[in-house]
Amino acid sequence: MSDPFLSIRNLGKSFGSVRAIEDVTLEVPRGEFLTFLGPSGSGKSTTLYAIAGFLSPSQGDVHIDGRSILDLPSHKRNIGMVFQRYTLFMHLSVGENIAFPLRVRRRPAKEIDAKVDEMLALVRLEGYGDRMPAALSGGQQQRVALARALAYDPQILLMDEPLSALDKKLRDEIQFEIKRVHEQTGVTILYVTHDQEEAMRLSDRIALFNNGRIEQVGTGQQLYNEPLTRFSAAFMGNSNFIKTEVMARQGNFAAARFPDGTVVKGVPVHEQAGGGAESVLMVRPENILIETRNEGSGLPATVTNATFLGDCQLITARTSWGEDITVRSVLAPGEMGTAARGEAVRLIWPNAGSYLFL
Amino acid sequence: MLLNYDRMGGLQWVLVFITVLVSLFLILPVVFIIALSFGSSQWLVFPPPGWTLRWYQEFFADPRWMAAFWTSAKIAVLVMIFTTALALITSFALVRGRFRGREILRAAFLTPMILPVVVVAVALYAFFLKIGLNGTMTGFVVAHMVLALPFAIIPISAALAGFDKSTEDAAIVCGASPWEARLRITLPSIRHGLFAAMVFSFLISWDEVIIAIFMASPSLQTMPVRIWSSLRQDLSPVIAAASSLLILLTLVLMLLAALLRKKAN
Repeated sequence: MSDPFLSIRNLGKSFGSVRAIEDVTLEVPRGEFLTFLGPSGSGKSTTLYAIAGFLSPSQGDVHIDGRSILDLPSHKRNIGMVFQRYTLFMHLSVGENIAFPLRVRRRPAKEIDAKVDEMLALVRLEGYGDRMPAALSGGQQQRVALARALAYDPQILLMDEPLSALDKKLRDEIQFEIKRVHEQTGVTILYVTHDQEEAMRLSDRIALFNNGRIEQVGTGQQLYNEPLTRFSAAFMGNSNFIKTEVMARQGNFAAARFPDGTVVKGVPVHEQAGGGAESVLMVRPENILIETRNEGSGLPATVTNATFLGDCQLITARTSWGEDITVRSVLAPGEMGTAARGEAVRLIWPNAGSYLFL
Repeated sequence: MLLNYDRMGGLQWVLVFITVLVSLFLILPVVFIIALSFGSSQWLVFPPPGWTLRWYQEFFADPRWMAAFWTSAKIAVLVMIFTTALALITSFALVRGRFRGREILRAAFLTPMILPVVVVAVALYAFFLKIGLNGTMTGFVVAHMVLALPFAIIPISAALAGFDKSTEDAAIVCGASPWEARLRITLPSIRHGLFAAMVFSFLISWDEVIIAIFMASPSLQTMPVRIWSSLRQDLSPVIAAASSLLILLTLVLMLLAALLRKKAN
């Protein structure tokens, strides 16, 4: 097997007695857009900063193209980076900002001019070369920062929550730009965010961080549909975790018995689910069907709240032992709702959409 | 706002009156001196009976005054350069450094600002007597640097604290060595702080008199010292002319600083 382009091996970093990241291992092929997703303090930025060279890891190694880059100082790593905050050089024009990495590399003036024009075109800011950064909007500034980070054809591009300072509408617009720039240049991108929608929209794969470790790596679909751990299931979208007892286990499947005696058979099982003392059955709100005829199969519950949200109805149903389950029920055109408050219902879901975490 | 100027009614006029009075109190002595420097009376009579440029001619013709002028200028320029350089390095340590006793160090650097100048002067005089720096250019410059340093550290530290270090990191990741990044990105970004430090340190040395009296020798005198000693011998209007020139340079520098600050905003 050939060496992967970027390989992060057992990376660890402690600040005093606090472990910021631990045993982070990841392989990234050339040209991939990989996102570090996780709550704040989960170690995703620390990992990025270790790759950039702003902090030196306590353990582990980072290889690019088969060579360790940890001995190299930041400025010799040939890495591009876009920061969370605006980091344009305010005393230089937009064009000079983009030219800066080429000037410190002592490239010929002709080449620099051509590259600046190429980069301005790449981020669709043609004609902005002579403006000062202060005259640009936040979104434009981040696009210039992107152009500056790509001007010297870096081996990889690191992006540390580059859109968090922008408002929602602008964010969507620049996400699209970033995606387009990635497709156009084919540069390998490591992108940090805490916004799962952003991660889903942009990335080829997502590395989900939790407590300084990588919880799960996979495509957005994999993380959402096949969460390996409780944390993955809880972080990606909304999930119900229903207290249950596991019985009649056969291989990767088992039957679940709820406190009220209802039994569901043939549920997929995840063993290394991490955390939590008791077994739970995880099911997504949109995978649950509400059955209003109070007979047949399904988990009996009483509707305690039903909210109309336009395209769907958000229902909270309470089981006989007092656990609240959220159901997202898609409505047919013109339909007002599938259940009303106080109604006794049965909750049904396909086994493929649920997991047992032991 | 508890005190809203627009809703004060008659009180507005009281406020305007007080403001004008205070302004006059501050400005009148300066106006007085400048008027006297152009007055024809030998005895500094006010209002002047006539107008003349004679005292300025005498000032520029007198080698002792000119020597004092150039000594002052030379010392002030040297103080400006060295103080700003030292304050820059110090500010990096005080703003970026993470070490024990940083706050104590910061306080120590600012004490010359609150210590009575005469105390600093006596201390420096006693010390310089031991190492033979009294009456020398080096002694003057070092002594004035002590006074000027806090006034240079404050604006530079403020500018550096307001500068996002991520910008410097961005320059480094772009391929600039740490020194190159500081030189080409950080320094231009805090240039307003540097400029303020230069103006302040120049002016502090330019019109400083107490330390200068201790440091001065018959052959090495600054303008304020020369003014001071002439005052005690005779009350010539040349002193008024010299003072006016002192004020003029100060005014020009302050205006320049204000203009640059306006341009920056």
